[in-house]
Amino acid sequence: MIRVHDLHIKLGIFEIKNVNLQVAKGEFLVLLGPSAAGKSVILESIAGLVPISKGKIVVNNRDVTYLKPEKRNISICYQDYNLFPHLNVRDNICYGLRFKKDKNRVKYSKNFRTLIKLLELEEILDRLPLNLSGGEQQRVSLARGLIGNPDVLLLDEPLSSLDPNIKWTIQEELKSIHQTIHTTIIMVTHDFTEANYLADKVALIHNGEIVQQGTIEDIFQRPHSIFVAQFTGIKNVFWLSEDEELKSFELKQPAHIGIRPENIYIHQRSLSTYYQYQGRIDSFRNNGIYMEIELSTADAKRNYIAYLTLNRFFELKLEKDMPIHFGFNKKDLIVINL
Amino acid sequence: MFGSRPEIIYIIAAITGIIILFFNVFPIINTFYWTDSETLIKTLFDREVIASIWLSLKCASITTIIAFLLGVPLAYYLARHEFRLKTFVESLIDIPMVIPHTVAGICLLTVLSPRSFIGRFLEQNHIETIGTEVGIIIAMLFVSMPLLIDAAKDAFKWVPPRIENVSRSLGANQVQTFFGITFVLSWRGILSGMIITWARAISEFGAVIILAYHPMIAPTLIYERFTTYGMKYAIPANIILIIISLVIFIVMRLISLGGKEKHDSRS
Repeated sequence: MIRVHDLHIKLGIFEIKNVNLQVAKGEFLVLLGPSAAGKSVILESIAGLVPISKGKIVVNNRDVTYLKPEKRNISICYQDYNLFPHLNVRDNICYGLRFKKDKNRVKYSKNFRTLIKLLELEEILDRLPLNLSGGEQQRVSLARGLIGNPDVLLLDEPLSSLDPNIKWTIQEELKSIHQTIHTTIIMVTHDFTEANYLADKVALIHNGEIVQQGTIEDIFQRPHSIFVAQFTGIKNVFWLSEDEELKSFELKQPAHIGIRPENIYIHQRSLSTYYQYQGRIDSFRNNGIYMEIELSTADAKRNYIAYLTLNRFFELKLEKDMPIHFGFNKKDLIVINL
Repeated sequence: MFGSRPEIIYIIAAITGIIILFFNVFPIINTFYWTDSETLIKTLFDREVIASIWLSLKCASITTIIAFLLGVPLAYYLARHEFRLKTFVESLIDIPMVIPHTVAGICLLTVLSPRSFIGRFLEQNHIETIGTEVGIIIAMLFVSMPLLIDAAKDAFKWVPPRIENVSRSLGANQVQTFFGITFVLSWRGILSGMIITWARAISEFGAVIILAYHPMIAPTLIYERFTTYGMKYAIPANIILIIISLVIFIVMRLISLGGKEKHDSRS
């Protein structure tokens, strides 16, 4: 279990403030946020690699705030692997064991065997990092971080440098490792889909502060700010204040509402959704696997963004400036409680 | 690249390259034509020549070791830390490289003379510097140490700090990480710096003759023979020094380059 209490870090003019985190033993926490939000700095401060100006870090009831990195039993793996180039895969994985106080060879050889099996490293143990692909390097880096039974494993964007196919494989392996070994993991990423797949809990960071934390469902369904809503893919966020609008959305007071673009339905004929509008297509953009469509209501009061699969888009024979019907269901409406 | 005719810049580079190589190599080769094998062999047994070359090699090697011991920790610190006066400190380190070497010699002489507190301290402790091997090493160190610090700094910068972070997080302390990872990955760069430092030290003349005309290092002896007896007597010693310096230089270079590709983490 790790508890970060009221962490403050000052780096030049950038400041990280009031970071409070609690990760239960064996839990997977994802620190999510845009680049330069301060996620990696928080991670490195937990590892003892960046000095903090205030706060407390407690791991398994041991205050590690002022301990040196090597005394914390917290491993870190980076996006760019950082394998030791002069050591082969086996020696890279076992590097940390030579500094272990307990020389429990049986325990660590069991860890070694489990990890190389889970991460499919048997074939490459004698190779140097230079001769490994990105995916293999990241697997070695994970094995190296996990072999010594760290209290916490820190992962700094571990999937960001990988090709999409490999990324999925490693992501699945990461999940299966976590489910097998039950190590407490804190991972940093800017990719909501990674968080969605891996995390038990998510903390969203913006400008050096945690803006919301909770389960994936909490963040996804109940964003507490426009930033969180937009970061988690809610492209349609509106401020409702006119009585008529509030009434139509069954709101008692002015509020922000959000609708995910994938929950908007479009058709040439009228729809059976709870909320429906007439409008037209302003523009569309092919994003490879889906079409992003910009719509406006007939009175030109609001613009919406909707996603359609390419198949569906071509099936409907949609064109720019075409008058259409669009709408969404009540269950998909998200009220943003600031 | 574009069509079959070479680009103009490459043609210019080829011409200037040939001029530079000729300029560098021809004077050295040409020296060999100015003597005969008989004089050369005779010089090989000239005790004064042998003593001066040995002194040069010894002092340059001691200088390099001192520069290594003093310079590497500072180079590592400079490679890893940013601080307000860093550029200023780096400029101070490089100052000896921009001062004419005879001027550097005189500056050192003012410090080592009994009129300065350092000179007085050395004198009180019976440490002689002027006209001794210590003086020669001080002069060599002054002019060559910046080269080692700069080379070691570049070598350390090439090792990503994150690789050290990983090592620390795996349980290695700072010293274990430095010797187990950082130094292992940067020693070839540092060795290159040591070779340049050594080469600079062995070729030093201006600062050395101010501090120690005697005992004579090889460049001083060659200079003395040239001014006293002329080319004929200077060249054999010249050739021997060239051969020894080149052989050592080539061997060290081969060591520092050997197996470099083996675990190049830059790829």
